[in-house]
Amino acid sequence: MAMSMDFKTYVDQACRAAEKFVNIYYETMDKRRQALTRLYLDKATLIWNGNFVTGLEALTNFFDMLPSSEFQVNMLDCQPVHEQVKQTQTTVLVVTSGTVKFDGNRQHYFKQNFLLTAQSTPNNIVWKIASDCFHFQD
Amino acid sequence: MHMTVWRNRKPLEREMGEDTQDGTPGSWFSVTIPSGIKYDRTWLMNSIQSHCSVPFTPVDFHFVKKGARFFVQEASTASALMNVSYKICDEERRKIPVFVSPSAVPYSVRDKLKPEEMEQLKLTLIKRFDVSKQALDLQRLCVDPDLVGHDIDIILNRRSCMAATLQTIRKNFPELLSLNLSSNSLYQLDGLSDIIQMATRVKVLNLSKNKLKSVWELSKIQGLKLEELWLQGNPLCDTFPDQSTYVRAIRDRFPKLLCLDGQVLPSAVTTDVDTPCVVKPCKGNYFGSDELKSLVLQFLQQYYLTHDCGDQQGLMGAYHEEACFSLTIPFHPEDPDPSSLCEYFKDSRNMKKLKDPYLRVQLLKHTKHDIVHTLCVLPKTQHDFSSFVVDTWFQTETMLCFSVNGLFKEVEGSSQGCVRAFTRTFITTPASSSSLFIMNDELFVWDVSPKKTQSTFCIPVPTPSTSSMPSFYWEQQQMVQAFSTQSGMNLQWSQKYLQDNEWNYTRAGQVFSMLKTEGKIPEEAFKEIP
Repeated sequence: MAMSMDFKTYVDQACRAAEKFVNIYYETMDKRRQALTRLYLDKATLIWNGNFVTGLEALTNFFDMLPSSEFQVNMLDCQPVHEQVKQTQTTVLVVTSGTVKFDGNRQHYFKQNFLLTAQSTPNNIVWKIASDCFHFQD
Repeated sequence: MHMTVWRNRKPLEREMGEDTQDGTPGSWFSVTIPSGIKYDRTWLMNSIQSHCSVPFTPVDFHFVKKGARFFVQEASTASALMNVSYKICDEERRKIPVFVSPSAVPYSVRDKLKPEEMEQLKLTLIKRFDVSKQALDLQRLCVDPDLVGHDIDIILNRRSCMAATLQTIRKNFPELLSLNLSSNSLYQLDGLSDIIQMATRVKVLNLSKNKLKSVWELSKIQGLKLEELWLQGNPLCDTFPDQSTYVRAIRDRFPKLLCLDGQVLPSAVTTDVDTPCVVKPCKGNYFGSDELKSLVLQFLQQYYLTHDCGDQQGLMGAYHEEACFSLTIPFHPEDPDPSSLCEYFKDSRNMKKLKDPYLRVQLLKHTKHDIVHTLCVLPKTQHDFSSFVVDTWFQTETMLCFSVNGLFKEVEGSSQGCVRAFTRTFITTPASSSSLFIMNDELFVWDVSPKKTQSTFCIPVPTPSTSSMPSFYWEQQQMVQAFSTQSGMNLQWSQKYLQDNEWNYTRAGQVFSMLKTEGKIPEEAFKEIP
């Protein structure tokens, strides 16, 4: 597949997708946790502080068990992933960092990265998580 | 005992009137523990005392950036302390260095109060002491009429004055419970830190209306078991975005605190209830398999060795032609002193702060030339392999993604010696030889709290020996695919041929061709596996 857009456009698209996605993700995580798995692909993988979770069912169970959260993001960066590497769908690497409190306990610093994949529908592009890696940084 | 350290130095001039407690002249030495700030002071001093063959009295203990320093008299004490260097092990099993060198007279000795001044000080303090409450009110001490009348300057910022005051307290008010130091223009608490030994029972401390700029000053008196503390009217109070962050920061240092700035605090959240890790215990590294682990670790070793050496050619070889790189630093108002990350500031692409779409494109470095150029302009680093925690979070045939969390030290420039924490996220793709090309590289750098600073780094791991035999699952899979395509055999048989020939692709190919012409390869080798 030839690059149908130039690099600048790729970057723009990645940035807009990343920003919008990250807002939705953390809002959903904090306030509508039961809807969170809708943001993941069926075969998505999650590595949470070294623990490996994959598949929608396992992800649903995992997020159910995770106590209520309060996220505060203070770093966001993103890069488009070259199509040579991720061949079929447009992919964006998103990296975030900030603080989180679970169930009112003490604050942790966290670092998280996502691989977002574009799923085109007739009307627009929907981004979903193919891979999620979360780690406390204390 | 041979003191090689200063054999060729000028002998320290004896200052007139400089004398020890018992009046005999002596020379002074400073004793420095680099990164001493991360240790509990009592533990540190006790450890040094127990390892030192000669008992000593530390004078003017204080902090110099991240190091701890105190003074001793007598060359024999100094040399005994030199021997303590690298003998004490800390919690991380690192040996603590102790550096000793000649120094000028410490301030509290040089500016020591005369006996008659000490006597007047004692009388003044007695007037300000409330025996029923065991409380001492030292507000605005320097303008006390008694002291002024006798022409005595008690400026508590001066080490000598603070030391004299604390000594007086220890002698005369050993059961002191409450101390008011409000409005004394205090801008640092090094001198006050001796209070932990001099007035151990103090539970109420008023430091309001002074000039303390950072909450970090309070770490110097952390040994006090305070129940009430006043800090309002200090610049440090304005460094917090909100009240609860402020309260938390103070409580972190004084867990038994009940009252701050006159307000009763809600009962403390028990600090031993940890996190949601009851859900899943927090593990360190994650690798999909042992083979992946060695591949990734070897890559990281080579990458960081090349990176730390400033080897531009080497770095170019690690990146794909059209790779992307970006760098970020945190963005939050309570970040202490952002100028400490100033070398990274202009390249930071933190989208929480950077909103201009043009700049967002500019700051994403594209093509390996741009990237290597950017990397080589950043401060030179030394990465600490022992601190690395790695997650391998995604892989396909064309893509291997992993993140590294760890520490590095800046080895030159204005922040030389500064330790930074980083997380680096890599998306790589297999290169033609036994290595990986970096397609995406994201680096996040932030400052590390003093407690986490490592004083010594591990010696970098020596370059792994390169062998022409690929031993990693990753390349093996690539080989199997290629062999299968070329030979027409299915993956299973292709793998078998390669394995039998020790993964020597050429040899396996030759064997295959030979056996094929001889018709010795069974049909099933070419059958598709369902």
